[in-house]
Amino acid sequence: MPGKTIIEKILSVHSGEDAWAGDRVWADLDLAVVRDFGGPNVVLEYEKQMDGEPVWDPHKIAMTFDYQAPAKVVQVANNQRICREFAAKHGIPHVFDVNCGVGQHVLLEQGMILPGSVVIGTDSHMNLLGAVGSFSSGMGTTDVAAAWATGRLWFRVPESIKITFKGSYDYPASAKDLTLFLLSKIDTTKTIYKALEFYGEPIDGLSLAGRLTLASMVTEMEGKIGLIIPDEDILSWIGERSGRKVDAVLPDRDASYWEEREFDIGGLEPLIACPDRPDNVKPVREVAGTHVDQVFVGSCTNGRFEDLRVAAEVLKRMGGKIAPQVRMIVTPATTEVAVEAVEAGLYETFIKAGAMVTNQGCSLCTIGHHGVLAEGDVLVSTGNRNFRGKLGKGSEAYLASPAVAAATAVKGEIALPE
Amino acid sequence: MTDSFVFKGRAWVVGDDIDTDMIYHGSYLPLTDPQEMAKHALEYVPGMEDFTDRVQPGDILVAGRNFGSGSSREHAVITLQYNDVAAIVAESFSRIFYRNAVNLGFPILEVAGVTRAVETGDELEVDANTGRICNLTKGTEVQGTPLSGLEKEIMTSGGLFNFLKKDMQTAE
Amino acid sequence: MGQTFAQKVLARKAGLREVEPGQIVTVQPDKLLTHDNTAAIARIFREIGVEKVARPEISVIVLDHVVPAATEGHARNHQQIREFVREQGIASFYDVGEGICHQVLPEKGHALPGYLIVGSDSHTPTHGAFGAFAAGIGRTEAAAVMATGEIWLMVPHTFRISIEGQLQKEVYAKDIILYIIGELGADGADYRAVEFTGPVVGELTVASRMVLCNMVAEMGAKIGVAEPDDKTRAWLNGRSVAGFQEVFADPDASYERVIEYDVSGLLPQVAKPHTVDNVVPVTEVLGTRIDQAFIGTCTNGRLEDFRVAAQILGGGNIAPNTRLLILPASREVLLAAVAEGTLTELITAGAVVLNPGCGPCLGAHQGVMAPGEVTISTANRNFKGRMGCKEAQVYLASPATVAASARAGEIVDPREFL
Repeated sequence: MPGKTIIEKILSVHSGEDAWAGDRVWADLDLAVVRDFGGPNVVLEYEKQMDGEPVWDPHKIAMTFDYQAPAKVVQVANNQRICREFAAKHGIPHVFDVNCGVGQHVLLEQGMILPGSVVIGTDSHMNLLGAVGSFSSGMGTTDVAAAWATGRLWFRVPESIKITFKGSYDYPASAKDLTLFLLSKIDTTKTIYKALEFYGEPIDGLSLAGRLTLASMVTEMEGKIGLIIPDEDILSWIGERSGRKVDAVLPDRDASYWEEREFDIGGLEPLIACPDRPDNVKPVREVAGTHVDQVFVGSCTNGRFEDLRVAAEVLKRMGGKIAPQVRMIVTPATTEVAVEAVEAGLYETFIKAGAMVTNQGCSLCTIGHHGVLAEGDVLVSTGNRNFRGKLGKGSEAYLASPAVAAATAVKGEIALPE
Repeated sequence: MTDSFVFKGRAWVVGDDIDTDMIYHGSYLPLTDPQEMAKHALEYVPGMEDFTDRVQPGDILVAGRNFGSGSSREHAVITLQYNDVAAIVAESFSRIFYRNAVNLGFPILEVAGVTRAVETGDELEVDANTGRICNLTKGTEVQGTPLSGLEKEIMTSGGLFNFLKKDMQTAE
Repeated sequence: MGQTFAQKVLARKAGLREVEPGQIVTVQPDKLLTHDNTAAIARIFREIGVEKVARPEISVIVLDHVVPAATEGHARNHQQIREFVREQGIASFYDVGEGICHQVLPEKGHALPGYLIVGSDSHTPTHGAFGAFAAGIGRTEAAAVMATGEIWLMVPHTFRISIEGQLQKEVYAKDIILYIIGELGADGADYRAVEFTGPVVGELTVASRMVLCNMVAEMGAKIGVAEPDDKTRAWLNGRSVAGFQEVFADPDASYERVIEYDVSGLLPQVAKPHTVDNVVPVTEVLGTRIDQAFIGTCTNGRLEDFRVAAQILGGGNIAPNTRLLILPASREVLLAAVAEGTLTELITAGAVVLNPGCGPCLGAHQGVMAPGEVTISTANRNFKGRMGCKEAQVYLASPATVAASARAGEIVDPREFL
């Protein structure tokens, strides 16, 4: 018998079965999360099905309001209220309201996400928590409502692909460029439904923020989860916040992988995903000069302090002012990021440069909040999706790193940082 | 549906990578009433803007690779379900969309090569038990992946909750 | 016979020695203010059949109402305005992110003593705080001003309101104006000019005088004005302002009414739903449950307002199940709040800090309420449905009262927090 991959180990522990790729198992959940998007649907479904029965474990349920925070329309306000009232009724203590920020990041900062945990949520980017070795997965209404009732869900244990990076790269290339590089290289018909495990020196060298960037875009690779084994620094960071001793889940040496790939990223250069697909990736220099109307720095992919710091530094180095015809929107992922950014002088840099800094949350990225685009508008975003019309009918979006986004804002056209 | 698992209907063919914003745009996410959600099905798929006016009960949606990529929104399944679309047959599905359809008891089938074998308007017979698609208009057949035991059980129960309730009753 | 402030400004602009109340004069305004409604105005302007704006140099356009765009409709509207600005060569254009027009105008040197300002926004009288004659007009009139560079105005009768005594601690300009509106009624000063005078007005900061003038619209007045003094000059000093000529009412001017208020014993005031003149002392509504507290807007979105809020929150947190929204009136205000640490205190206390603009004040986004919810706000209007939901309630009060209420989760007297 060969050994197990990380996902096989996690799902074996959580199902109490000997789980192997291809098996269908019922796994116990550590946390089932809803947002103000999906949340009301889950609450209504739960109430319809369970008729006032108590939830499985109120401490293993969390609500995070980041989709439209604060509410843009009455319907969303009411949806948020439906969630708050349900939480009050069922004694759910973990409600992270409109003042907290992007859900997964908040839960991570709160010490609620541990390596090896199984977490589900109404967010297709839930799986970014694979950055700390958690099996976190986006789910729809019915799954989460069922999880609230029973604490378990069925999973098809995914096959795993082992991806090893080698080589090194320098600024201005970043974790985002590594991520876009991978998107351009892999075949999503092969990664669909799979668990990816990331290894190699370039991965070891990534900070938590960089790991979150990579893991968040496994969704765009159609993967189920992208797992990175947390290093000592990250383990102690989580340990401090959770108040628990935490260990990483490691794969067996003889684990069997569906595929093993190696990528040399030596000399990686800044990349950009062109309309209308995240894997339509080109070197920035090839599309440099493209006119841009709006720039966004933020999202669950690039909304951490370090992302904002890089953007602010580029703005400063390139003269401190964005181009007059460009709108730049900056959104910190969470309250913690916002406070750190204010105290480090980043807000001052952004505001003086002519950018708008919005409240923490998903902001522009979740459609219909903070900077919808008009027909013909072109956006460069640090987010993770550039599907046609997502941010306004007839608009186009490019995806790039915070450094490229900031340089682009200064030049008013797609540009490399100086 | 639960008995036969065989559907006959007209085909609507769409391409690869039809994402959740195209199936059900994010600006309609605040809606919670399925009848209201139904009004916006496929609105952002180029050429399908008037789908909801033209779709007939029992029609079958045929899609390319990676249907339903993007968001976890269950609205994307519900909006099709409430237009009385009988089933979706695609080269492949994005994983959350797939789960959502199973959990809502909405028949979906992965069939490699289906978009090459079918044109919009063709009369199809879909057998979800065997994974076989008969194109009655063209007189051709394509073989897909039949549903696995668990997914089929959930679907035939009429969705995840009904399945779990049966399960809970058995346990008691 | 002496002349009032309104008579003197209009006579001078009309090239007459003197004018009488009721007389109609045709004048050339110094500034024409428009905002997100510029696209609609531009359409009317084109219907008139004129191609070029007669005096582009007087046009000041500030995008503030729904910024950044919350829907495709808003995005398209902003796009049309940008095109109009380019086509007409309008230099004084402030795109999304600069702030609320009534704050941006004075900051950028467009609101000066003695100026005649017309604006397609009902709170245009705010600029009376700088000794300007500033009146709100309709969209069609604004289009006509664009076409001709002129406007006809009826010389208003004037109320002289003298504010005497000594304000208690935690009682502010907002409480004074709410009290006056409660006394005079929502139509109590219809078509009138209101001159604010007396020792208390002299002691108020320029920002607080803006509160008084801003809210004369809520009693129907055409303009409100406070005489320029050293504080006004100091405020304007250092900004890039054109030459101006201060205008003062003659000591022997003739007034329709002279009203004196002694505010020494004035309690903090609250306007209850759903009219601004439904004013009571805070002591009559103590304990009213609130869901949301909102500090900002063109009425109370300045540094002194946020300082008071931070001081009252005192490093503590807002009440559970209460949202506190902070909306700086402009980029300049936000920057100042960042620089002195006030912003950090507010974020840490649990506030959502919104980007400068009109935010949730008019119910378009960023804090719309659910049915049955209650907001206490520093804004100027509490009409039914004003914040986006007809089944919700809005109370109006000073920043001190709103901050204290956010801390308590119900309406409280801010003097408790002294």
